Amino acid sequence: MKRLCLICQNVDCKNRGSEQLMAELQKRVEARALADDVEVKSYMCFGACQEGPNVVLYPEKNWYAGVKVEDLDEITDHLAGGPHVQRLDTIDPSLKELIYQLLDTGVF
Amino acid sequence: MEGILFPRGVVEGREGLTEYRARGGYQALAKALEADPEDTVKEVSAAGLRGRGGAGFPTAKKWAFTREAPDQPRYLVMNGGEDEPGSKKDRLLMENLPHLVIEGVIVSAYAIGAAKAYLYINANYEAALKSMTDALAEAKDAGYWGQTILGSKFSLDIEITPAPHNYVAGEDTAVLEVIEGKKPLPRQKPPFPVTVGLFGKPTSINNVETLANVAPILLHGSDWYRKFGTAESPGTMIFSLNDDVNRPGIYELPFGTPLRYLIEECGGGMKGGGKIKAIMPAAPSSAFLPPDKIDTPLDHNSMREAGSALGCGVVHLIGEETCIVEEVLKISEFFTVESCGQCPACRMETNTLTSLLKKVQQGQGGQPLLEQFGKVIAFNKGKGFCNLIAMPGPPIESALKLFPADFAAHLATGKCPAN
Repeated sequence: MKRLCLICQNVDCKNRGSEQLMAELQKRVEARALADDVEVKSYMCFGACQEGPNVVLYPEKNWYAGVKVEDLDEITDHLAGGPHVQRLDTIDPSLKELIYQLLDTGVF
Repeated sequence: MEGILFPRGVVEGREGLTEYRARGGYQALAKALEADPEDTVKEVSAAGLRGRGGAGFPTAKKWAFTREAPDQPRYLVMNGGEDEPGSKKDRLLMENLPHLVIEGVIVSAYAIGAAKAYLYINANYEAALKSMTDALAEAKDAGYWGQTILGSKFSLDIEITPAPHNYVAGEDTAVLEVIEGKKPLPRQKPPFPVTVGLFGKPTSINNVETLANVAPILLHGSDWYRKFGTAESPGTMIFSLNDDVNRPGIYELPFGTPLRYLIEECGGGMKGGGKIKAIMPAAPSSAFLPPDKIDTPLDHNSMREAGSALGCGVVHLIGEETCIVEEVLKISEFFTVESCGQCPACRMETNTLTSLLKKVQQGQGGQPLLEQFGKVIAFNKGKGFCNLIAMPGPPIESALKLFPADFAAHLATGKCPAN
């Protein structure tokens, strides 16, 4: 199974530019030849709209909130084995736990 | 059985003004106008009238909040949106007893000091809209509403607003939005409509059946009213039975009547004589009750103690051959579709619960899947502008508790044990 890079595409996150974000991330994943390993995929809602757009990497379970296009290079670096982007890791641990468990049960 | 709204059983056909007057119609209005509005509030408070739209909130308390709000003008809104699947009671009242409803509206408007009343009626209810429109004209000609009603100082304007027929359009604050000419989207609360309601003014929003109880209370008195029902739920309530029983229909019963009486004596039992697997006393949003709770009295407290709710009285039966997973998936899909989408938490919850149930239905997962339901519901508790977010929880959680075998069978085989 490919690693997943999930981007929420609910109403709020779309209003905050998550569609463009998804397209831009897809371009970067392809440009860095990561597409065989990583699938950029939309997600219904992570329940953190006020902090969106949200990007969740799975199965490694990294959650980046309030992501902007200018953050995507660092996130792509992370997907390619680079460091975790600490400043975007702002989500409450209890929500992370809830969503990670849902992902573990296969709810994509 | 003797009723309050239907004294001789549910009537077939429309009751006109002459017939209504012949049984004391509009005498409650005359009586109310001779006294202070506060006296009407006191009488309805003494009768213990509770809202029939589902929440069971004390009507006189709602009126008192509206009356005491300093802003003017005040409004009364009759909520006849009736979008709960299977509920037919408000439609029947508006179609067959329009003057009983209208007298209740006028007396209630007097009680809260409203200058205008809006009658919000489901646009699909063509017969009800016509019946109420005709009755309003008759009542106006007779001087029951308009300027200086029956020679008193009280004047009232009444207007009908056709209601969109999606589920959320029946939510009280969505009703206000529609009357203001906007989309049916619930408002954030507080402020509550009793202080900041229609056009920002104090507004009492009352269900059709609630308002239909007002004239009989005024006419006969609160002591008479309390002869029906229980101490905490006085009076009667109209229950809707659908085609899962032998005799579908609507039945007016005193609060406290055993559920068994409604199902067996009124409804004639499960269709086809089948065995009951579960009872949903307030479809589609209440917890399921197991069949051994069939003697639970039909009142707010008893239903809560039994682990469910009374809601607006749409009683749904689940037959023994039915798989509960399929039932709750249908319910969950209903709320997913009907969520208006403005609150992120509600969208997340309803979509996630439906996704989880589809996984269970198709057998894609194990026990951890079942553990997610409670977590998702708990995470979203208390969020959202309206109560829709709280609605899928009771059916799903009670189904998991009462019928674990149905869930296990789906998870084990990916197939429905009922088929």
